[in-house]
Amino acid sequence: MTMAGPLDGIRVLDLTMWFQGPVAGQHLADLGAEVIHLESPKGGDFARGVRSIKALAIGDWNQYFLVINRNKKSMAVDLNTPDGKEIAHRLVETSDVFLTNLSAKALEKWNVTYDELAKRNPRLIYAMGSGYGPYGRITKPSFDMTVQALIGVMARQGEPGEPPIYLGMGSGDAMGGMMAALGIMLALYARETTGRGQFLDASLYGAQTFMAAPTLQAYLATGSPRYARPVSRTDPDNPLWNTYRAKDQWMFLCVPNEDTPWKTLCDSLDAGTLAADPRFADPEKRRAQATALVAALDARMATRDASAWMDRWTKAGIDASPIVTFKELAADPQAWDNDYLLNAHCEEVNREVKIRGLPVGFTKTPGVVETLGPQLGQDTELILFETLGYDWDKIGELKAGGTIL
Amino acid sequence: MSVALENVVVLDLTTQLWGSMAAALLADFGAEVIRVDDRQGRDGPQPDGTWNHTFDLVHRNKKSLSVDRTSERGQRLLTTLAAKVDVVITDRREPELAADGLDYASVSAARPDTVYAQGSGFGPKGPDAGLPPLDELAAARAGMMPLLPQPDQPPVYAGHGQMYTSVMLAYGVVVALFHRKKTGEGQRVDASLLAGNMYGASLDLQAYLAIGEDRLLQPVSRLDAGNPMSGVLYPSQDGLWIAVTMPDTDRWWPMLAEITGLDAADPRFDTHDKRCSDNRLALIAALDDAFKQHPAEYWRKIFNERQMSADVIEDYEYPATDPSARDNRYILDLDDASLGPLRTLGFPIFMTDTPARLRANAPRRGQHSAEILRDLLDYSERDIAALEQEGVLG
Repeated sequence: MTMAGPLDGIRVLDLTMWFQGPVAGQHLADLGAEVIHLESPKGGDFARGVRSIKALAIGDWNQYFLVINRNKKSMAVDLNTPDGKEIAHRLVETSDVFLTNLSAKALEKWNVTYDELAKRNPRLIYAMGSGYGPYGRITKPSFDMTVQALIGVMARQGEPGEPPIYLGMGSGDAMGGMMAALGIMLALYARETTGRGQFLDASLYGAQTFMAAPTLQAYLATGSPRYARPVSRTDPDNPLWNTYRAKDQWMFLCVPNEDTPWKTLCDSLDAGTLAADPRFADPEKRRAQATALVAALDARMATRDASAWMDRWTKAGIDASPIVTFKELAADPQAWDNDYLLNAHCEEVNREVKIRGLPVGFTKTPGVVETLGPQLGQDTELILFETLGYDWDKIGELKAGGTIL
Repeated sequence: MSVALENVVVLDLTTQLWGSMAAALLADFGAEVIRVDDRQGRDGPQPDGTWNHTFDLVHRNKKSLSVDRTSERGQRLLTTLAAKVDVVITDRREPELAADGLDYASVSAARPDTVYAQGSGFGPKGPDAGLPPLDELAAARAGMMPLLPQPDQPPVYAGHGQMYTSVMLAYGVVVALFHRKKTGEGQRVDASLLAGNMYGASLDLQAYLAIGEDRLLQPVSRLDAGNPMSGVLYPSQDGLWIAVTMPDTDRWWPMLAEITGLDAADPRFDTHDKRCSDNRLALIAALDDAFKQHPAEYWRKIFNERQMSADVIEDYEYPATDPSARDNRYILDLDDASLGPLRTLGFPIFMTDTPARLRANAPRRGQHSAEILRDLLDYSERDIAALEQEGVLG
């Protein structure tokens, strides 16, 4: 029996694809909302078709689709048919939220625009995850990377002279999805008082300006290229707060540029000469001589393994960490103890698989992963019968006609 | 027009950008957020009179209560206030909060229906729950930094992991408020920098968890991408870069071939499989050559005319001057009485019925102390004056 989630009784009609839209639905489903992923009977969500990632075969289970759409139901309905449109409209009448990241053109074609749906259900929250926002002027199809390209976050990463850097597969989509989930919760909370639904949009553009906030705000205020262009690790504001390569791996060192921590650091590095070096005698000099200091620290750091430095630094109260890969993360008790990683049963391959877990913790109403993503259309008939009151003759007819799978 | 978080009072005990911005999101959507400014605080307008743009971003729409936490009366005032509000939000560390009587256990004992949002570095459980909440440490631990650059380059700290944590914390608060409205039950909500950095890396992380290949742990050269037409960067003639995202190559290949001067019927590239596995490296090399033949502006024009999902990689000047960023209120133009025209980040979520609003810039330290004591704690003017006299209020 399922534990009661905080969103029990909330029904979400999820007409989404790929990641930005579906992951917003996933957050709500993790907390108990009934999320119905509405898909085309012809192959469904394109994410079901992902066969490889970074030129590697995806393996025997499609983790891409199944994890993003965990805890959801699936209905396969052809929205090009009048019967399909009728099903969508009747679902909307019983739903609290309509969630989509599809193009305006598709939504018009299927007659599921905000104006149309709000007429049928004034309490409906219509949540859009667009690319460029309600007043955006770009009409071409948007993906995370093409929006990140425009926002300016890619151009400022890494070492000068190197190619720009994308912040990771779906990194901006992930932000958009979390923003949409926040927007939906704000609208649900407001509806408790107002009794009304509304339209909201958490676009990739908006989400990514938030993602870039610390440096974008500084650029907006000052216009300084230092915030907009790559800054080399050999030219940091504070050379003591920087990445360094130990003998065996990279580390992040986080030491304030103040005299006492500087002395402690020098002691830990067996760098008495550095501590006495007049070029680095005070915070201002260390900042002005950053490049020389980084070179001096690089040389010291390369003499021992990361674990040796960590032993010393832990004792000395210096904040630092080895810069690990997913391999170490996958074995990190910190990630497992907090449910940031979980084991889940995958029906497709009938075994336990590792999945990314629950990003937000709740003491009374924690999220759960009950099931991984649904088979295409697995809940169509039951929802038509139980939720919408279609009789079995009609359901058979819809199936025979190809309106449903 | 109404506000989403009508009558929600939040006590903001945050000290870091991401924590304060979580509270600012709540304030943008109408919560009454009371920020506790203590005397050791280093925030505030710049000494030289220039704009403290970060301060105005992370504390906008808030009220300021200035209290000397080190005095007994100041401490009591804060614990009394914590028992009055709907939400407490903090990124301070638990032992410190416990010493002040402001940790979850103390606050919920005084008022069980409180929503208590705890931001941390590494989550409430586990051997490293006590590590400091530094985004750099969490990013180093989350596995993504080595993947970002080209091969043989240093790992990259992009600084965005903390921003997921910020939204997650605000999301947790609103979920818990919704639950409280239905059941009357309060609880603690938590989001950590480790969770935020991991969530931001969702797809790369999940791919490794499922596939387990070393290729997913290391940087992959842009010239070795899995799909030459999706997620790949190409340099243009003038040194500006192009990003191409057309995963459905069957649909886009003929058009892409046409604009780049390649032969759509080239037998090396005439199926999706050939383009994305057998001959992907050859196709990447061909596209790499082709995009170098023209400047970025040329390509931008074509992508727009043909409605292709590809674009020029811009720097921050693009959003800074983009009129649609104003129309969408992602960026706001302000006219400050003393500082003149200013540009600031606006609101990432558009809502028709309960939109975010900029009601006020960040408060002066202690600007609302008297008002808060009077309105929320029923202090008399005499009590307030006495506290001011004793130096408990700043």
